[in-house]
Amino acid sequence: MTGMVGGCDVGSTTGKAVLIADGRIVGSAVIASLVDPEQTAKEALRAAGASVPGWAQGQRLDYLIGTGYGRNEVPFADENVSEITCHAVGAHWCNPSVRTIIDVGGQDVKAVGLNADGTVREFAMNDKCAAGTGRFFEAMSRILRVDLENFSDLSSRATRVIPITSQCSVFAETEVVSLIGKRHAASDIAAGVQAAVAKRIFSLVKRVGLEPVVTMTGGCAHNAGLVEAVSKVLRAEIVRVTVDPQIVGALGAAVLAERRWRGPRGQAGGRS
Amino acid sequence: MMGAAGEVWWAGARDGLVSASCRVRNWATIAHLGASLGPRRLRVALRKHPWLRKLLLVNRLQDRLTQSRCGAYRQANAILVSSIADTLREMLEGVFLHPDLTVVHEDLVPPELLFGMGLRPWMAELLGIVLPMLDPRACEPYIDRAEIEGIPSDLCSLPKATLGIVLQGQMPAPRAVVSSNMPCDGGMAQYTIWERKLKAPLFQLDVPYDFYDERAVEYFAGELRRLVAWLQEHTPGRMDWDRLREVCDERNRAVEAQIELWDMLRVRPAPMAAEPIYLANMVYVVARPGMRRSTEVMRSMARLARENLEQGKGALPVEKHRVALWNPPTMMFLDLFAWAERTWGVSLLMDMITFHRHPFIDTRSEDTMLRDLARIVMQGPMARHTRGPADNFFRDLFHLVDHFGLDMIWMAANVGCKNTQALMGMLREKCRTQGVPLLVIDYDLLDARVESQEGIRSQVDRFMQTVMRQERLS
Repeated sequence: MTGMVGGCDVGSTTGKAVLIADGRIVGSAVIASLVDPEQTAKEALRAAGASVPGWAQGQRLDYLIGTGYGRNEVPFADENVSEITCHAVGAHWCNPSVRTIIDVGGQDVKAVGLNADGTVREFAMNDKCAAGTGRFFEAMSRILRVDLENFSDLSSRATRVIPITSQCSVFAETEVVSLIGKRHAASDIAAGVQAAVAKRIFSLVKRVGLEPVVTMTGGCAHNAGLVEAVSKVLRAEIVRVTVDPQIVGALGAAVLAERRWRGPRGQAGGRS
Repeated sequence: MMGAAGEVWWAGARDGLVSASCRVRNWATIAHLGASLGPRRLRVALRKHPWLRKLLLVNRLQDRLTQSRCGAYRQANAILVSSIADTLREMLEGVFLHPDLTVVHEDLVPPELLFGMGLRPWMAELLGIVLPMLDPRACEPYIDRAEIEGIPSDLCSLPKATLGIVLQGQMPAPRAVVSSNMPCDGGMAQYTIWERKLKAPLFQLDVPYDFYDERAVEYFAGELRRLVAWLQEHTPGRMDWDRLREVCDERNRAVEAQIELWDMLRVRPAPMAAEPIYLANMVYVVARPGMRRSTEVMRSMARLARENLEQGKGALPVEKHRVALWNPPTMMFLDLFAWAERTWGVSLLMDMITFHRHPFIDTRSEDTMLRDLARIVMQGPMARHTRGPADNFFRDLFHLVDHFGLDMIWMAANVGCKNTQALMGMLREKCRTQGVPLLVIDYDLLDARVESQEGIRSQVDRFMQTVMRQERLS
């Protein structure tokens, strides 16, 4: 098979890969990150390739773009592009009317404002603390003794939202432990956690300026409770992307890879 | 006729020669200071004021600011660093040899008045500015000391570091301290501690809140008269109005050269950039106005810019972007622009501290001099930006975008500056409305532990790649 390009997003908790041929997604995968980012990238690409009929393992892609925090550790990629750009391209590919992206990943949170052509107008990010990231949710679900999937369901069953006042994830953990000790319902605490994270996201989005259509990407976009809480504080509908929100960065990288491979005239092999 | 290779060789040799001669000058400056103080006084000074040792790093600073530059731009930086080193020597000699005449003043108190009275001004914030230039981590122990003593950690690190030096007993004792109610709460609050710790009398100027009218000018000129009377009472200084006139005339000459330089910066590519614009202003227009050396340095900067202009050369080999830096410059990462130039082709043309609209002092009478000095302080950089309506903060910035043909704004968002942090949302909105890309650099003015130089570089990289969609030059 020729004309197959790929994007690989090496994140802190998961590695994502998307393969594209003729402008269509032909394969994708999400795997847990390994210690070595290069191995994560290889494994994610292998898993994505496994679902493509007629694709021989080990076959070289026509163009590969690496993104994510570990992108510089992927030596076999043709190019590395920042994850902000890739999320913008990926979300725009899914829905060209998207103007604001909220990306909640494993180790950081970003708000990205888009121009009409899908380029980045402005961005703001919190990469200094774990509060409001996937890691934070992992810690909270661990304390509440549920897995991440059930954490979201738990908050949907809340009868009230218990405010979590601590901004720092370490202090929030202590606060949640003490709330459990006071015998508050786990569902109400979970709703409080979602609301606290949503508030942090709100201030980040305000920095880039909220402009509809708004979408969420990253692993935490699977968390329906969080999406609902964010929608509530922003007073805006969060439109779902047409693909798994976790692969949007890798998808953007793959879309860029296809553009690079086709070159400015849209002809295949135009990468030079 | 010299061939192309010969020209390149000669240019390289000339650049090397410039650096070498300035390096020798810097060593001579240090030796001069040692000789003026004498071995015994020098030993005492080094023990009481250990930050003096940082002066030995001056050549390293010169290398950081010159190595990636060439031609007239390199020469301007080399001259500037050497001149600053020698100016500092003069100031230190004043502090150690004539403590009776030394008056510590806040950066928004006009030192021209002190010169006019035959006093020796020592800008309170000077060490907090100069030390991180020489060693990016130099202020950290002083910041810690201030915080240990109970100064709130969220205060701007410039007053914190300055206070730390005072609390550590390492600030030379002055005859008197003069401050004002500007530019921020943190700056203002520190002077009571100065007064107590150094046992020096303190005078605080009252700058009116609304300063764009003649009543305010009249009021503040009166404040300056009150300051002169107070200094006459508390120091040996006596106002000599003719001497003040000479100082003001000299300042006018330096500013004339500065304005000529600014005019040249409008050309593409700009014939000068970064430190010869903002650092020269900070030292020779803000801290040491009215000195002959100040005029000489400003004229040198203009002359070297003219040299480039006449040859159709830009300061940078590739000027891809023209930028204004808002808020005080990143002192703990002074070579940010040396890096940004070679990595992204970013030319820094103007900044918040440098740009002013009241260049000249009318020296016809005592009254005209005082009124113009009042205007310079009240309506000048920092004062105007951190006081009065928010529009003061934005008006100049967007004027600069048009005037210098800038294609982006870099905001040095010092975490300790509550005044400007409060304006950040409005700044973002205004930039969005006007279509001017804005990079907000989150960092601390003097403390690299809050954000490292590497972290600042990453912030710039991310912005240049994603918003400006540029590729690195190197």
